[in-house]
Amino acid sequence: MADDLVGAPAAARRAVRTLAAQVPVTLHAVSLGLATAAPADEAHISRIARVVDAVGPESWSEHLAFVRAGGIEIGHLAAPPRTAATVEGAAQNIDAASRISGGRPLVENVATLIDPPLSDRDEATWICEVLDASGADLLLDLHNLHANATNFRFDAGEFVRKIPADRIGAVHLSGGRWIVSSEATGSERRLLDDHLHDVPDPVYELLVEVATRSPRPLTVILERDGKFPPMDRLLAQLDRARAAIAKGRAMAVAA
Amino acid sequence: MNDARIEAFLARLYVDDLARARFLRDPGGEAAAAGIGAADRARLGLIDRAGLELAALSFGRKRAGKLHGRRTGARRLLSRIARR
Repeated sequence: MADDLVGAPAAARRAVRTLAAQVPVTLHAVSLGLATAAPADEAHISRIARVVDAVGPESWSEHLAFVRAGGIEIGHLAAPPRTAATVEGAAQNIDAASRISGGRPLVENVATLIDPPLSDRDEATWICEVLDASGADLLLDLHNLHANATNFRFDAGEFVRKIPADRIGAVHLSGGRWIVSSEATGSERRLLDDHLHDVPDPVYELLVEVATRSPRPLTVILERDGKFPPMDRLLAQLDRARAAIAKGRAMAVAA
Repeated sequence: MNDARIEAFLARLYVDDLARARFLRDPGGEAAAAGIGAADRARLGLIDRAGLELAALSFGRKRAGKLHGRRTGARRLLSRIARR
């Protein structure tokens, strides 16, 4: 996590740099808030850029979300209204991040528990427009996609087919759990992306679809932030991911 | 649509329990007080209420985790490295 390295002791940064010289390391940021109609905080981009420079990762990434507005810190990743203004704002902010860091970040689709208010286009359309306007490639989080598709009743496979496959640079896999709203708001169930549970079957099915369509090598990262199962269960999920990619590639060759 | 104003309004709904309660009682009134135009006020009246409640809860938990210094696995690892 790039944000964890901001202000970290030099020894910690050196250790991660040493690691990055031996194995592929990608830095992932959560605090820039690039997907907003307002300009992102360039001083904060500079702090993340210094971390990127110090570590020398294979790539770095940030989310298509806003995390603050009007002086209010939301505390996490909020999906912005999907409008022309946030497409343009995201493109400008991604440009600023690229200019300051010296490398264009991958940008990740986010999970949202609320259908973003005042949106005038669907998520796939909005993301395609951001990719087109910014030149950034997509870090496609398949559990975020699965959660949004489940919560807001759209076809995740159609989403994958709409995204330009050659712009998918990496993939995240994770799991989540159901949560329920109060009676006052209809006791509605929503799928929460929490990184605390195993990858569900539909996410592997989406990975097959991605591998079938993508012409690029794919870096696939299993995200797990806690409630860690035995290591063999984590490794089994990576094996299933490899099998899904192999199946997708084979389907592409056969087609 | 004044997009920056809309984002600020949404941010307040996500973090401020009292503002959110006022909004749920009277969406148009709360949005008007924030200077949001009539067309957007009408659309905000159709907001996903269950989603607003759950998103606000989720954001609140994230903020509480940061406030209480809950550390990620990466932070714990970095602390151990720095102590060596």
